Amino acid sequence: MSTTKHARIGEEVWKSRVDKVNAELVTLTYGSIVQQLCKDLEGDYTEVNKQLDKMGYNIGLRLIEDFLAKTNMGRCNGFRDTAESIAKIGFKIFLNITPTVTNWSADNKSFSLVFEENPLADFVELPDDGRAQNELWYSNILCGVLRGALEMVQMQVEAHFASDVLRGNDSTEMRVELIRIIDDELPPGDE
Amino acid sequence: MSFYFAIIGTRDNPLYTYEFGTSKSGGDGVARFREDQRSMNQFILHSSLDMVEEVQWTNRDLYLKTVDRFNNLMVSGFVTGGNIKFLLLHDQKAEDPIRQFFTEVHEAYVKTLMNPFYEVDMRIVSVVFDQRVRAAARKYL
Amino acid sequence: MPIYSFYIFDRHCECIYTKQWHEAERYQSAAAATARRASITSAPDGVSLPQAPGRLSVQDDAKLIFGVVFSLRNMVRKLSGPDDSFISFRTNGYKLHYYETPTNLRFVMLTDTKMSNLRAALHQIYVNLYVEFVVKNPLSPVEHPGGVGVGVEMFEYGLERFIKSIEAE
Repeated sequence: MSTTKHARIGEEVWKSRVDKVNAELVTLTYGSIVQQLCKDLEGDYTEVNKQLDKMGYNIGLRLIEDFLAKTNMGRCNGFRDTAESIAKIGFKIFLNITPTVTNWSADNKSFSLVFEENPLADFVELPDDGRAQNELWYSNILCGVLRGALEMVQMQVEAHFASDVLRGNDSTEMRVELIRIIDDELPPGDE
Repeated sequence: MSFYFAIIGTRDNPLYTYEFGTSKSGGDGVARFREDQRSMNQFILHSSLDMVEEVQWTNRDLYLKTVDRFNNLMVSGFVTGGNIKFLLLHDQKAEDPIRQFFTEVHEAYVKTLMNPFYEVDMRIVSVVFDQRVRAAARKYL
Repeated sequence: MPIYSFYIFDRHCECIYTKQWHEAERYQSAAAATARRASITSAPDGVSLPQAPGRLSVQDDAKLIFGVVFSLRNMVRKLSGPDDSFISFRTNGYKLHYYETPTNLRFVMLTDTKMSNLRAALHQIYVNLYVEFVVKNPLSPVEHPGGVGVGVEMFEYGLERFIKSIEAE
């Protein structure tokens, strides 16, 4: 599928088939989750990242079904097609943003998503404790969502943030790498 | 004209202070309080809290206008819905510009409050907030 | 036109939902005469119906059906590329309709031989019933071993109504 077609599908589904919810509600809900995790885990930001990723993973496992139901899409035609679908349709219909797909590796197995805007991180300033700026990936839930969603469509990926404007970086960039295609499971042998 | 601005929390604790001068009619934005006066500013401002608490229940608006006077100085107040007080010490009457200033600071304050890592009554150390207040001061006062 | 049965298989090849209708009409034999009309069973309970002679249990039926659609699907893909999939097949006694999602959920329906293509209907069941009432139910588990969380009230009700509307066409 061509790039513009992805954008068109994303736009159309967003307009006609998505229930909208107040953006501040989402931002505040996500914010209080992260903040509570930081509190409960006593500032162990590595663990916070891990928990956010896990939560995202569980969301992704379900979200993919909603994605497929809404977009009526079939299987992607290669990993590049997958990347475009994630950016132009997935992020569009669920967060109304379209990150840029860029920095493809030579073997076409990993790419970056660069976020111009990030509704999860509106209003956010990381705690000024000298560590959060280096350790916390505030929007790490998104990595988990991608990991979970792609696993359901037989792609095992690794996703992590490489930079975040909240940390003072110039851009927010997520790196996604295809580890392997998961084979279809075979039915257990008849006893 | 010189100004002294403070945000006071719900337990009468200071959250943020900023001293500045007018930027209108060629002002350079630097406060010119007399040295002996400067140390009194905080005191005057905080002593007007009683007046604010009196006025806030008789006034429907968040902006309480001038609530207190001390010699040639005036204190204007603004109370947010969450009972956070904005107080501005000034030496000349300027009702409308101060209203605009407060409104803009209020907006910036709400945005700060939306930061999940900020809690009510915490000292405001956000650089973004500080910049917004300074911008508002330059723009209106 | 009657619909006989409906199955959902998950990506672990496990049957997570089955439902039968018109058992009696389908097997007009002595045993079937005593079977209740439009009787209902679902896999998790493991309740078996009074069976016509030589009939398998519902669970064995499901296993057989999975074996058939799985092999057929793989064969079709081998013959004409990974994007192809079969839609239905027909025997003297029934017609089997098949729909598969990219997440490897498989929906199968057995109907009367004269039924028109139900692929769209199976897609509807996926979109409007399965995703809405099973996937989006936050209390339902993500995986459904033994069918846990699939046969929820809203899903059952929606399915029943949908099946009736197809049969009435």
